[in-house]
Amino acid sequence: MALATVEELTFSYPGSAPALDRVSLEIEPGEVVLVLGPSGSGKSTLVRALAGLVPWFHGGRFAGRVEVAGRDTRRARPSELAGAVATVFQDPEDQIVLAQVEAEVAFGLENVGTPPSAILPRVHCALEAVGAAHLAGRRVTELSGGELQRVCLASALALEPRLLLLDEPTSQLDPAGAEAFLERAVASGAAVVVSEQRPATALRLADRVLFLDRGRIVLDAPRDEAVAWLDEHRPAWTASPSTTALQGAVGEVVTRVAGARFAYGGGPEVLGGASLELRRGEVVALTGPNGSGKTTLAKIAAGLLEAQGGTVERTGRAAFLLQDPGRYLVRETALDEVALGARRDRAARALAEVGLAWAERAHPHDLSSGERERLALATVLVTEPDLLVLDEPTRGVDPERKAELAGLLRAQAARRATLVVTHDVTFAGEVADREVSLGAEREAIAVVA
Amino acid sequence: MRPTAAAALLAGLAVAALLAQQLWSVGALALALLCVCLRAGRRARPYLWGTLFSAGFVFLLSPLLQSTGWHVLWSGPDVPVLGQLDVTTEELRIAALNALRLAAVGLAFAAYALLLDHDRLIAASTGRRSVLAAALATRLVPTLERDASGLVEALRGRGLAPAGLKGHAALLSPLLAGSLERGINLAEAMEARGFGRAGRTRLPSPPWRAVDYAAVAGAAVAIVVGALWL
Repeated sequence: MALATVEELTFSYPGSAPALDRVSLEIEPGEVVLVLGPSGSGKSTLVRALAGLVPWFHGGRFAGRVEVAGRDTRRARPSELAGAVATVFQDPEDQIVLAQVEAEVAFGLENVGTPPSAILPRVHCALEAVGAAHLAGRRVTELSGGELQRVCLASALALEPRLLLLDEPTSQLDPAGAEAFLERAVASGAAVVVSEQRPATALRLADRVLFLDRGRIVLDAPRDEAVAWLDEHRPAWTASPSTTALQGAVGEVVTRVAGARFAYGGGPEVLGGASLELRRGEVVALTGPNGSGKTTLAKIAAGLLEAQGGTVERTGRAAFLLQDPGRYLVRETALDEVALGARRDRAARALAEVGLAWAERAHPHDLSSGERERLALATVLVTEPDLLVLDEPTRGVDPERKAELAGLLRAQAARRATLVVTHDVTFAGEVADREVSLGAEREAIAVVA
Repeated sequence: MRPTAAAALLAGLAVAALLAQQLWSVGALALALLCVCLRAGRRARPYLWGTLFSAGFVFLLSPLLQSTGWHVLWSGPDVPVLGQLDVTTEELRIAALNALRLAAVGLAFAAYALLLDHDRLIAASTGRRSVLAAALATRLVPTLERDASGLVEALRGRGLAPAGLKGHAALLSPLLAGSLERGINLAEAMEARGFGRAGRTRLPSPPWRAVDYAAVAGAAVAIVVGALWL
C-alpha cells in the first residue's frame, strides 16, 4: 500500500495562477523520489502539500486529495501528521526554534508526545547519524550554515518519520557535505522526497525522478529512464562540470591580495595568509569546503573587510553581492531599488539586462526568489564596477537560470574582473576562466585550472 | 542556577527597583544589574544603548512635563497646552528616580535576554506557548541587529552607505519586512514539527538545588525590602 497518495491535486495561492495543476502520484515506503523543475514550477508547493502545510498553513484554492500515512491532509493538521512526516526546509536559520542544539532536536519529539525517558537517547542517536554528535551542547548561534543544516536533518530524523521531505536542503553545503547529507537521509530508511537544484548527487541516490513544469508533472520515471529523458529534453539538469578552459583576453590587475590574514572578533584565524590576483577580462571561481574562508577572502578583495595582515591593492570600483541578496532589498519598486546607485535610465537598462524589464514597478517582495536574485544582480551591475564579486549566486537557482547567469557574466566579462564564490562545480565550470581553491588549512591557494 | 530561579531573581530585583523610593537604593540595584549584564560582553551593547537612551529620555523630558516642588532651578517660556516650562530640584529628583527605575527594569530584561538559557526556561514552564513566544521575541533583538548589519553590508557592496538618522531610518521598513518573512517561515516550520499538538511531553530536567531555592527566596526578600525599607 502506498505511503502517500496525491490525486488530481490542484492548488493556487491567493490571487495567483495554479502552483500545482492536476498532480497525481504515489510514494511507496522506503522510496527515494527526486523532484526537479525550474524555479516556480511547484516543487516546494508539492513538498508542502505532502506535509499538510498546503492548504492548512498557506491559504488558497485546494482541489483533489492528498493522503499521507493513511490520513487525509484536508482533515489532519500538519502538526498531527508530524512524526509520520518530517520536513527540512531550505533555509536553516528560518526553522531553528530553540537556542541550544540538544533542545532544538528534542523540540519535535516533545511535541509529538515521545516518552520523556526516550527523548534524549533519540536526540543523541539522530545527531550521531548526521555526524553532529559533537554539536549537542552548542548554541545554535555559534554554528555555521552547514552545521545548522545538519541539525535540521537531525531534528527530522529524530522523529523516525515514515516520510522525509527535503526542500532544497543542501543549498549551503559544499559538494562533499551535500553528498553526505543526502546519503544520511536515504540511509534512514524512510521514504524520501527531495527537491534539489544541484541534482547530480540526488540523481545518483534516487529511485525515481519527477520533473515539474508550471505546476504539472511532465516526467515521472525510474532514475535511468529519467536521466535519458533529461539528457534529451532538459540537458542543463544533467550537465557535467566543464573542464574546458574559457580563457579570454585578460588585461591589467584590478585586485591583488597577498598573504591576507583575518580573524573575526578575536576568534580563531579564518584566513592564514591567502593570496589572490584578479585581472580585468577574467572570471575566477573561488571554491573550497564550508568554513575555508572563501567569503572572508572575497570581502577582503572587495574592500568590505580590512585584512589584518598581508597587503591588498585595488584599482577602480568594487561591487559585492551577498549570499541570499533578495533579503537585502530596501526600496518599494524594482526600478527604485536599482536606481539607488545610478541614474534611472541606466537602472532601467540594468533591469532589462537581467530579464526584468517587465518588473520595473513591481515591489521586490512580490517577485519570486529567483527574480529577486536577478534584481539584486542588477543593483550591482548598474554600478559598472571594475571588480564584481558574487557570493554563492546560484543558491536556489535552477540549472537553466544558472546557464543564463553564466552567459550574462561571460558576455560582460571583458568589462571587469569577476570573482564568483561558489560550491557549485558545474556552474564554476561553465562560467570561470580559472578556479582558485581555498584549502581547508586556510593558508595556501592552489590554482586548479 | 536554573533559569527559572534566575528569572525569578531578576524579576524580584526589577520589582524592588520599582517599589524603592530612595535614589541611592534604586541606583545600587541598577548598578548591580549593569554588572550582571556586562558579563555578556559585546552582545550587551544594543541592550545597554537602548536602556541608556530610554532612561536618558525620561530624565530629560519628565521635569518639563511635571509641576512639582518649589525650588526653581530654571524658568522657561509659556508653551500652549503645557503651560510655563520650569525645572525644580524636586522634579529633577523624581525624574532621576524614574530614569533609574526604568534603567533597572531594562537591565533586568537585558540580563534575562543575554544570560539565561531560554530553552530550559521553556521546558520548565507550564505556559509553554506564552513562554516560547516570549523567548522568540527576546531573540528578535539580536536577529534584527544581524539583519541590519546585513543590510548595511549589502549597501556597502553596492558602493552606498546609509548616512545619518534619515539613512538609517530608511532601513526600518525592509528590516520589518524581513522580520515578518522570518516569522512566517518559523511558524510554518514549527507547525510541521508538531507544535500545538495535544499530548506533548517534556525533556527531563535536573532537580532543583539549594542555590535555586536561595535565588527564589532572594527575589521575595528583595521585593519586601524594596517596598518597606528602601
